[in-house]
Amino acid sequence: MKHFTKLAIAAALGTVLGTAAVAQELYTPNLAYRTGPFAATGIPLMNGQADYMTLLNERDGGVGGVRINAEECETGYSTEKGVECYEKTKGTAIVTQPWSTGITLQVLPKTNVDEIPILAPGYGFSPMADGKVFQWAFNMPAGYWDAADMIIQYLEGEGGSLSGKKIAFLHLDHPFGKEPLPVLEMHAAGKGFELLPIPVGLKEMQNQSAQWLQIRRERPDYVVMWGWGAMNAGAITEAVKTKFPMENFIGVWWAGHDADLKLVGDDGKGYKSISWSFPNPDAPVMKQVKEMVFDKGLSQSNEEEMQGVFYGRGLVMSAILAEGIKNAQENFGTGQIDATQLRWGLENINLTEERIVELGLEGMVPPFSTSCGNHTGHSGGWMLEWDGAKFVKASDLLKPNVDAYADLIATSAAEYATSNAPWAMNEECSATN
Amino acid sequence: MLYRTAGQFKTSYIADQALFPVKQDAFLLGIILALAWIVFPLTASEFTFQTLLIPILIYALAAMGLNILTGFAGQLSLGTGAFMGVGAYACYKMVTLFPWMNPIVAILLSGVFSAGIGVAFGIPSLRIKGFYLAIATLAAQFFLVWLFEKWSWLYNYNASGAIQVPNLEMFGVFVSGPQAASVTEYYIVLFVVTLLTLLCINLTRGNLGRTWKATRDMDIAAELIGINLMKSKLTAFAVSSYVVGVAGALYVFMWKGAAEPNVFDIPLSFQVLFIAIIGGLGSIMGNYLGAILIVGLPVVLNVIAGTQVFQMSALGAAVLVALAAAVAFLGWVARSGWTVGAVAGFVVLTLIYGYAQTQGFRIDSALIEHINVMIIGGLIIFFLIIEPHGLNQLWRLIREKLIIWPFPH
Repeated sequence: MKHFTKLAIAAALGTVLGTAAVAQELYTPNLAYRTGPFAATGIPLMNGQADYMTLLNERDGGVGGVRINAEECETGYSTEKGVECYEKTKGTAIVTQPWSTGITLQVLPKTNVDEIPILAPGYGFSPMADGKVFQWAFNMPAGYWDAADMIIQYLEGEGGSLSGKKIAFLHLDHPFGKEPLPVLEMHAAGKGFELLPIPVGLKEMQNQSAQWLQIRRERPDYVVMWGWGAMNAGAITEAVKTKFPMENFIGVWWAGHDADLKLVGDDGKGYKSISWSFPNPDAPVMKQVKEMVFDKGLSQSNEEEMQGVFYGRGLVMSAILAEGIKNAQENFGTGQIDATQLRWGLENINLTEERIVELGLEGMVPPFSTSCGNHTGHSGGWMLEWDGAKFVKASDLLKPNVDAYADLIATSAAEYATSNAPWAMNEECSATN
Repeated sequence: MLYRTAGQFKTSYIADQALFPVKQDAFLLGIILALAWIVFPLTASEFTFQTLLIPILIYALAAMGLNILTGFAGQLSLGTGAFMGVGAYACYKMVTLFPWMNPIVAILLSGVFSAGIGVAFGIPSLRIKGFYLAIATLAAQFFLVWLFEKWSWLYNYNASGAIQVPNLEMFGVFVSGPQAASVTEYYIVLFVVTLLTLLCINLTRGNLGRTWKATRDMDIAAELIGINLMKSKLTAFAVSSYVVGVAGALYVFMWKGAAEPNVFDIPLSFQVLFIAIIGGLGSIMGNYLGAILIVGLPVVLNVIAGTQVFQMSALGAAVLVALAAAVAFLGWVARSGWTVGAVAGFVVLTLIYGYAQTQGFRIDSALIEHINVMIIGGLIIFFLIIEPHGLNQLWRLIREKLIIWPFPH
């Protein structure tokens, strides 16, 4: 009998501890793609994201004392797998990170019904900036329209007025590549330059000889590239082959992957990429990750990859999410926040210069803040330049001129809401924010 | 035993040529229908609906459409994905231009457009055959996907170039779009799929089906006995593209919710073709079996691999034993040295996999994905080795053996 009682107590204790252990964690799944055609660019990002969360768990025991479970669900960049992952994780997840534009397109309307915040740092649909309409979607610190605006600003700052010049817009023929067109067209009309959109089909990503022949014939002053995956390496090698002046070649932040430029090395000198993140090797976080995550064998990354732009960006992404979690925990006075509370947290991020230093992320991300009406933050970014071996900052912080396309954001968001009626909006949020 | 036909006397030709000459077949179908119409909807979770039930039905329907063309009429086609796209875009245009239209009517009508396009691209089949025809349908594949990208009217001039399914109502209930409940979508898919399966079974058993089969088996002989080849081939293209188009409309409206043009690119065509081939060309049921293997199994494997270690030991062991038993049973049916080797290899692999799981061996998501791809690939090879005519033929053999059991011949 004694024996039996002991056993019963042990069992009861085990159950209690077990449930407590299960309850004390925040589930922030990441719909990763470490396989498939885009794996080469995905892996450094995923490693950065995972390593930052591991660092928080190792160093601080999570956020606010609650451990983060940043489990990955592999999608291979396939939309079907992505939706499968979303359905699988949404039960207990407090956030969803969809990654591909295709998955974002499908998950975006669902999150509005399921009430889960969707965090798409630096990608997704630009009108997501309108937090009143897209109350569950976040794409801070900057959207594609910000990127397009900053690139035009930079070109004006470097070469003077753009009037009468010709800018080729080399882009993936896919929702992602078409995303900045409205802002570029607006600027072309306003500033009097000629915009020449050159689409690259998904099947022609690796062989862009036709597109570059067209560029040679048209002789544009600048080439702006919205590329991803194999398209970037294809374009950069083709540009080197056709001897296009690299300093006039600018990519979006997803077209600034170190490995793509290492292929051409010194020949790629001068190539630029706008970016809202920078892998500052002197930032304390980088050292801590090295000590507490990498050296303990908790990382899937390697030394070379950890120096790169994409790994650093992964760290910043997780830092933004962790900041949102921390805000929500402080505001609601509970460690175990739910999806709705996290939404509040993400809407009230205030990453000031001091806070960035406090987090140990100096120089890795520009300061920005969000509100219920502004889900992007419009942090601005730096122009990075390839110096033959790595990316360096080539400009001061550029700030997008959001007022110029605020109307565009509002109308596009409203259009989306009408075509998806009935669409739940955040009515409480005042228009002034 | 289970399939004893003794005592089932046929007293008329009609009874002998009925859809189910063996009573047990009808009984089995009744069980399957009851499962699909009553048990699954009552028990399934959101995840099961969205990743297993709905996609399996839709892919099975698409494969059935292709099977009519390739399996029954013998015309090889690589353009299935594009024809699905035609159905999806037609449906999208209809529901946005005529918002009052009943969604089910729109879905059923969208097949008419793909049927028209299918016939147009089927015209070369009157002159060319086999691989050459496959290349001609490949042209349809490339051209149509290009058209979906370039013709902005098709996607209502959306900036993103993708089609997004609006919330559609029918009798006050949301049937499509993000607001719709999965169970509603499932019932609509099931209704349409049941309807079209019934249509296909009867078409292929009837006069038209016999014309198609004659064309497939030897077109010159068919022509000599008075079959109009043009009519036979073009009706096959029309019916096939209709079914494929409806599947495409369901694919976007009842499942995906949004689609960019490259969704309908050649990988989709290949996936549907593989389902049809592995299921069995020239069969109706094979499409369902193929879809379960190609669409359903990876999801199930992923779920098993993703469960926690302690759950794994019980549930996983059961699943592995069941898998091994199923494979051993198939080996008994096929009876050859080859099979025994394959079975042994498969069992060993699953055991290693299961052991690694129970030992808490850290498997990250990418490795699981790689292992899944290998298991699925291995299974496809395995099934094609033990039965090159597909899963449907395998089932037919099992059934024959069960009917004459316990006698070997």
